[in-house]
Amino acid sequence: MIFNFSMSGSDLLLMLPEILLTIWLCVVLIVDFAMPRLPKEQLAYLSVGGLVAVLLNLAWFDRAGVTGTLFNNMFVVDRLAIFFKIFIVGATALVVLISIDYVRRFRFFKGEYYFLVLMSALGMMFMASANDLLSMFITLEFSTFGFYVLVAYLRDEVSSNEAGLKFFILGVFVAGLLAYGISLVFGETGKLVFSDIASAKATPGLIIGFLLIFAALGFKIGAVPFHSWIPDTYHGAPTPVTAFLSIAPKGAAFAILLRMFFVSLATFKPAWVLLLVGASILSMTYGNIVAIAQKNIKRLLAYSGIAQIGNLLIGLAAGTKMGSDAILYYLLTYLFANLGAFAVVITVSNQIQSDEIEDYSGLNRRSPFLAFAMIMFLLSLAGVPPLAGFLGKLYIFVAAMNEGLYTLILVGLVNIVISMYYYLIVVKKMYINEPTDPSPLTVSAPMQAVIYVSLAGTVILGVYPQPFIDWVVAAGMMFSHFAAPAAAAVMPSVPPSALPFGG
Amino acid sequence: MGQYALLYILFAPFIGAITLLFVSNRKALAVRLIAAAAAAVSLLASFYLFFAFDTDKGGYQFIQRFEWSKELGIAFHLGVDGIGAPLVLASSILLFAGIFVSWHIKDRTKEFYIVLLVLAAATIGVFMSLDLFFLYFFYEMSVLPMYLLLGLWGSHTKGYLSMTDPEGLKKRDSVAFLFNFGSNSKEYAAMKLTLFLSAGAILALLGILLIYKFSGLHTFDILVLREKAHFSGPLADLIWLLIFFGFASIAPIWPLHSWSPVGHAAAPAATSMLHAGVLMKLGHFSIIRVAFEILPDTTRELMPIAAVLCIFSMLYGGFVAFYAKDTKYVIGYSSSSHMGYVFLGMAALDYISMSGAVLYMFAHALATSMLFAIAGWVYDQTHTRDIPSLGGLVNRMPFVAGCFLIACMASVGMPGTVNFIAEVMILVGSWNKYPFQVFVAVVGIVLTMAYLFRMMRGVFYGPMDGHYSHAHDAVAMVDRVPLVLLITCSITFGLFPGHFYKVIRAGTDPLVSRITQVTPLHAGQGVPSPQPSAVGGGVDETIQVSELKAGR
Repeated sequence: MIFNFSMSGSDLLLMLPEILLTIWLCVVLIVDFAMPRLPKEQLAYLSVGGLVAVLLNLAWFDRAGVTGTLFNNMFVVDRLAIFFKIFIVGATALVVLISIDYVRRFRFFKGEYYFLVLMSALGMMFMASANDLLSMFITLEFSTFGFYVLVAYLRDEVSSNEAGLKFFILGVFVAGLLAYGISLVFGETGKLVFSDIASAKATPGLIIGFLLIFAALGFKIGAVPFHSWIPDTYHGAPTPVTAFLSIAPKGAAFAILLRMFFVSLATFKPAWVLLLVGASILSMTYGNIVAIAQKNIKRLLAYSGIAQIGNLLIGLAAGTKMGSDAILYYLLTYLFANLGAFAVVITVSNQIQSDEIEDYSGLNRRSPFLAFAMIMFLLSLAGVPPLAGFLGKLYIFVAAMNEGLYTLILVGLVNIVISMYYYLIVVKKMYINEPTDPSPLTVSAPMQAVIYVSLAGTVILGVYPQPFIDWVVAAGMMFSHFAAPAAAAVMPSVPPSALPFGG
Repeated sequence: MGQYALLYILFAPFIGAITLLFVSNRKALAVRLIAAAAAAVSLLASFYLFFAFDTDKGGYQFIQRFEWSKELGIAFHLGVDGIGAPLVLASSILLFAGIFVSWHIKDRTKEFYIVLLVLAAATIGVFMSLDLFFLYFFYEMSVLPMYLLLGLWGSHTKGYLSMTDPEGLKKRDSVAFLFNFGSNSKEYAAMKLTLFLSAGAILALLGILLIYKFSGLHTFDILVLREKAHFSGPLADLIWLLIFFGFASIAPIWPLHSWSPVGHAAAPAATSMLHAGVLMKLGHFSIIRVAFEILPDTTRELMPIAAVLCIFSMLYGGFVAFYAKDTKYVIGYSSSSHMGYVFLGMAALDYISMSGAVLYMFAHALATSMLFAIAGWVYDQTHTRDIPSLGGLVNRMPFVAGCFLIACMASVGMPGTVNFIAEVMILVGSWNKYPFQVFVAVVGIVLTMAYLFRMMRGVFYGPMDGHYSHAHDAVAMVDRVPLVLLITCSITFGLFPGHFYKVIRAGTDPLVSRITQVTPLHAGQGVPSPQPSAVGGGVDETIQVSELKAGR
């Protein structure tokens, strides 16, 4: 394979958001060094300013319909990539805002924190554009790199160190799996770009290779059985990092999953549907049942996150254009509900120094606003109308129903009821129980901004979804060839014996 | 303006709730007035809707349709027929009455009214939805407020029949909760109700999704589905059973009723009113709207299931109510027993019984909510619902006692109240098909009389415990408004049911004729021409009987 780097300035324009962000994170780092007296909050606002600029740039790309590829198809800019970049940058901006109060707790490296967050965001933006196996590996590791540091940021706390170590060791192990899987796939096909692999024949090496890659991505999104790092890491990491970890990398990983399954593996759909159905059922059921027993709100949200990933995998298992639309929509609803819930958790924990669910008793008496916001976010996660989570779940179920995945839908529906139980337990603590310490809680301005934005998102996505549905439908247009009939037409061409799961 | 009536009815409570978010909790009076104003708008618009309903035209009226999502085939499609209109009216009446019944709630007044308004608006939304998605949307939306209403403003209950100490069992928030049936705490009641109804709802949702997929029409619109969707064979049976049992859990049909009395007893008065008055009717209504409309042939084959189950509902509820010692348990079980009558009326699939069932839903809403309002008043005054320890309250609260008597009479079905007409229509209409059930229903009426008057005697007559000497009557205007409103409606519609009857027949006749393929006989046409009848030859006389009883 010959790489030729002939590119013009206008080609580089495709990378404008990434270039902007790179410049900006250097600026943040330089300002931090050059002006040591500057209050660190200013750095946060500086970062948010930069992120908003990138967001505007991406919005312009989206409106103008800028598309193209760079570096021999390694880096692609299409509607899907732009959607995920907006998702990631938006999530990062909200995370930076909810970090401001929490960063005061750190004894050292307050300025570098923002730099690391921006760096991870940059890595994830590249992930959204990764279009071949190599760039997938590089961007995945690039984005995880920042997280290794961020998770262990509370240097004095054992739990944070444990979380960092666990995340690091498992992460490196998974990177090994990924590299091995890529080498197998490349060895079998001699190709790296996703769309080129699509024409490959199913050989044992290729199947093992893709299974290894799926395991690595499953680790990223925290699907059962690759979830074991999630609870401890979420629990030990600084809460804003947990919030960041729970949403942005999952979005970015889904960008790669969508490209891999829907483009590279389109012809093997009957086989991977079984794989995804299994992973989805396990994730939903395990996450929801274990969440019931949790006493710590961060662990509860960790397990609920595993269950939510199970829901997203339903959309992937549907394997249609509608399934990919539903995934994108669900991610949007999950972004607002999850980040909002973490914003409330951070506000509470900053003042009462605890994340135990027991200490949420009587939150309604102490801060009606926080309790109201939390109930909205939890109910959205549970999928209660008129909040966004309901439509997200319904969208996914409709997509799966059109593909006839009845078992999966039944399990998903039963899981809604199970999840309602533990979300309602938190609601009960907040509203029904009386507080042990009735002193009121205050909410700082940036935190309020995040909670209001999340509330608005949670409600608007639930009651006026059409503009957002249009957006996700447009973003997934590249999969429109991947409608159900087309897949059915391709199916017979694959001999059943070649399928790893017998069809 | 008139054609937007549904939007006013539906959105007035929502807008009221949103307005309340921005009112300070300290201004309790302002909070109450805003809630009352929102409910009043809804009430006036519902009365307009009800009287402006064109009974000659029939069908779905006041239709509003907005595209909501093309990709999913969802439209925000509202409209009422002769079945929806009375229930919308009942919901607004109960909401308005409920606002005044809860006038004295001191704890978190603002939150209470917000949740109450959302609950009522969601119920109203179900009654006017012509889109399966929105029907489910509002249905599920009405379940969650119940959790908060029970958990926050509810009260611990006494046991079913025993008098265990409610404080004895406290912590209910572990996995063991799932196995801990029969606890007395309000948290338990709230959780049980929510999970039970959500579990029922997902069955129904599965049915709805199956309809969506196998109709192949890519739409949730009920009006399109009822015209163009055809289901047959095992698939139709499966969908019908999912829809029926999913929605019947809220109705509540025996054996899915166990959440209901516990929930009633734990709930604050206004919530019990809405819960027994309209929330339970969501079940019947949704079965009619989804199963009857979209799967008429399956309904004809499988509706006998309901006819069998309603026997147990009527008897079981009645007997437990007779032995219960908690006022709200008595009324709660009486409600679940009376819901069996509605199922009987629906199961018979006869013109008279079907319209009787709809009328009974309305009548029961008024009568039961009166009983609950008064039980709530007595509880507020005496802080107990234990019938043996109450007594002689008629001296302290003559007005309330008088209202209670009227409410009991209405519940039993005394001529002059709308309940009477409804009961007679159900009994007469079902006689041809289900004589045994009619017999059971009559036994049920006798039972109703027994337990309600036993409760009346226990609470208001007999020797009074000196303990309750501070209890006082409902003298203030705000306390009398709900009772007077409910009694007025019950008696007025009982004495002048003409328009009511026409409205309901305009809704039920096309439905029944579609299911049974028997042409309806138009009431008031004079001599009805002989019709080919699958139900039996009794159709003609039954109409005349019911009209006679209805005083026309």
